[in-house]
Amino acid sequence: MKEHIRNGVSAGLTFGVVTIFFSLIGFTSTATELMGGFIGNTSTARASSPGAIFNLVFLLTLVYLWNGSMAAKPTEEDTQQKAMQSGLVAGTVTGLLVAIYAFTVGSINAAGIDMRDYLTSMSSDAIELFLLGLSPVVGAVVQLVWITAVGAGAGWLAFKLRDKPLRKAIGRLWERIKERFSQVPLIQKINKSKYGNFIWYGVILLVLVLIPLPLSDYWNYTLGTIGIYVLLGLGLNIVVGMAGLLDLGYVAFFAIGAYTVALLTAPTPHNLLWNFWIALICGVILAALAGILLGVPVLRMRGDYLAIVTLGFGEIIRILSKSDALTGFSGGPRGVRDIAGPSILGMPFNSPRAFVWLIILGCLLVIFVTSRLQNSRVGRAWVAMREDETVAQAVGINTWQYKLMAFAIGAAFAGLGGVLFASRNMFTGPEDHNLMVSINVLSLVIVGGMGSIPGVITGSLVLKGLPELLRQLETYRMLAFGALLVAMMIIRPEGLWPSKRRRLEMHEEEEEPPTEHLANPSGGDAA
Amino acid sequence: MALLEVHNINTFYGNIHALRGVSIEVEEGEIVTLIGGNGAGKSTTLNTISGITPAREGQIIFEGQDITETRPHEIVEKGITQAPEGRRVFARLTVRENLDMGAYTRRDRDGIKESLDAVYEIFPRLKERESQPGGTLSGGEQQMLAIGRALMAQPRLLLLDEPSMGLAPILVQEIFATIERLNETGTTILLVEQNAQVALSICNRGYVLQTGEIVLSGTGGELLANKMVRDAYLGAS
Repeated sequence: MKEHIRNGVSAGLTFGVVTIFFSLIGFTSTATELMGGFIGNTSTARASSPGAIFNLVFLLTLVYLWNGSMAAKPTEEDTQQKAMQSGLVAGTVTGLLVAIYAFTVGSINAAGIDMRDYLTSMSSDAIELFLLGLSPVVGAVVQLVWITAVGAGAGWLAFKLRDKPLRKAIGRLWERIKERFSQVPLIQKINKSKYGNFIWYGVILLVLVLIPLPLSDYWNYTLGTIGIYVLLGLGLNIVVGMAGLLDLGYVAFFAIGAYTVALLTAPTPHNLLWNFWIALICGVILAALAGILLGVPVLRMRGDYLAIVTLGFGEIIRILSKSDALTGFSGGPRGVRDIAGPSILGMPFNSPRAFVWLIILGCLLVIFVTSRLQNSRVGRAWVAMREDETVAQAVGINTWQYKLMAFAIGAAFAGLGGVLFASRNMFTGPEDHNLMVSINVLSLVIVGGMGSIPGVITGSLVLKGLPELLRQLETYRMLAFGALLVAMMIIRPEGLWPSKRRRLEMHEEEEEPPTEHLANPSGGDAA
Repeated sequence: MALLEVHNINTFYGNIHALRGVSIEVEEGEIVTLIGGNGAGKSTTLNTISGITPAREGQIIFEGQDITETRPHEIVEKGITQAPEGRRVFARLTVRENLDMGAYTRRDRDGIKESLDAVYEIFPRLKERESQPGGTLSGGEQQMLAIGRALMAQPRLLLLDEPSMGLAPILVQEIFATIERLNETGTTILLVEQNAQVALSICNRGYVLQTGEIVLSGTGGELLANKMVRDAYLGAS
């Protein structure tokens, strides 16, 4: 089979299966509802209202456009005709699959059988919507024609846009915006001034202080959660991203921070009622100590072994906190309530908004420490260790010491996150500290870009912030999570906002200027 | 007193007895080679000297100080550096960053700059590739980089682990010529090689290692002429 036809078939099959899968689990209906919610065109009670159908068609058309353009990727002999053929084939294949599917579920539904007995999302309404409110036969045919046409169109479009990559266009736009801005007299003045950097930092700080003011408690709470995950992410970023130690039990240090503040300030079980600020410092120190304690025995291990041991450690802490034997000490499965919040000069400072400020302060502190470390001897030692531990030893790096340091600093950041989290919720319990926290934090570091501070912030916003915006999609969160991770690893393995080094590592062949050794990889030896 | 004295060291990997009472000496200014087949313990000897796989028994004396128990990074500071086997460069760091990493234990900025210039003079190819990731270099260039990186620590004693491994014959000549030149400028070298012919012809003295034991030693010329060496390592008929 010719290459461009093969591309078409494979894209068509993929998108067909994915579309059917999304429809089966009810994702298409949910996405449609969500869009209706945003643009407000689905007020009628019936599920397959014109508005809903419009939204569905709109969303699916986007998917099918993607299908066609994927199929029409450049082949050896790249012509408009071939690109269109690829798109057409992809559209037809997807169209056939979807049409068969639509016809089948439509007929079952028309026969009066309730498919929800088998698939909970396949309500009669959802099926009708997918058939665009038409009869099974007509709906299936319309689907086929529509998808085929969109596929061919996308193939043509992809060919037309090929010479002007979108990325370049965006890059140019960005340059132009920057140029415009740098011509504004005030900005020029600030940039020229000796204190330019400090002024900009001040502006950023001011914005950060102002952000929580207009927000409701709910949004401040969400923002706080994002901030706490930024803290956790920055800590894990040091351990995993910079030092290259895969730690899957990171939540343990979060738990230690949370339980420290809980046990020191709550009326039960110990009634110590310490001041929040002192408890905060204790929590951070204890977490760092725990990092060292765990580090000493396990840091001899490398790679996967380390991951398994840390995973175990995380679970041990959680199970200990849950165990009945320790109920008297740590509150057991019921957790600890009435944890103290911060106060300033006797005034309580514990509204969600106040906590956002506190968390932002914590983040800034952590960002400052991290960026200083990154460019220091310590940071260089971490890079070397991550690259090749044996060679790092051979150039005279005390790997053991720097690993412990990474562990302790990462743990201290997690401890800080734990303290703030527990204190804000006024409660902490074993289920706050399950494996999912470790996995979430690791995911946001990977999605954002390992080793990159802005990456961690971006990752946290995407993985913790977006789900809040898209509440309706909550059921699909894990699905989307998985899909996002897989897609990221394929399309952009270096993360959304990678560090400069990582970008270089992942895209060597694209960003390196072509040099003689690339043109002649084996001949270099003899030269 | 020799620069390096290794007395009767025994090294184990778990239960595997890798070195059985190895004793060698390296005098200031020498090139000493260690030849032997696969698994004879050549690399283990170097790793034991540089502290990566410490000896369980025996003693290693460097410049009169006992370094048997000293940790690897401290050994580097004392003046022994190793260019590990298999051209291990930091593949994703640039050539320049690799070299800077070699000077990790040093804090004298000017001295580091001098060493860098010296390395670039020895290996002009590295200068040309300065900002290229180490992993994109050719095999020979990576070996140069590994040696250059070891030189950045200004070692009194340079340990070279199979510098000729996997290189084209013409490059092997080039690398060994460089090793001789380094030696002439005052670096003492302990060289581990499978390529016995070339190694023995440039060294002052050599040792033959077999299943963890030194079975023979002598000057390069003596060993080259030795029947056992000829049969076992030089492939002479």
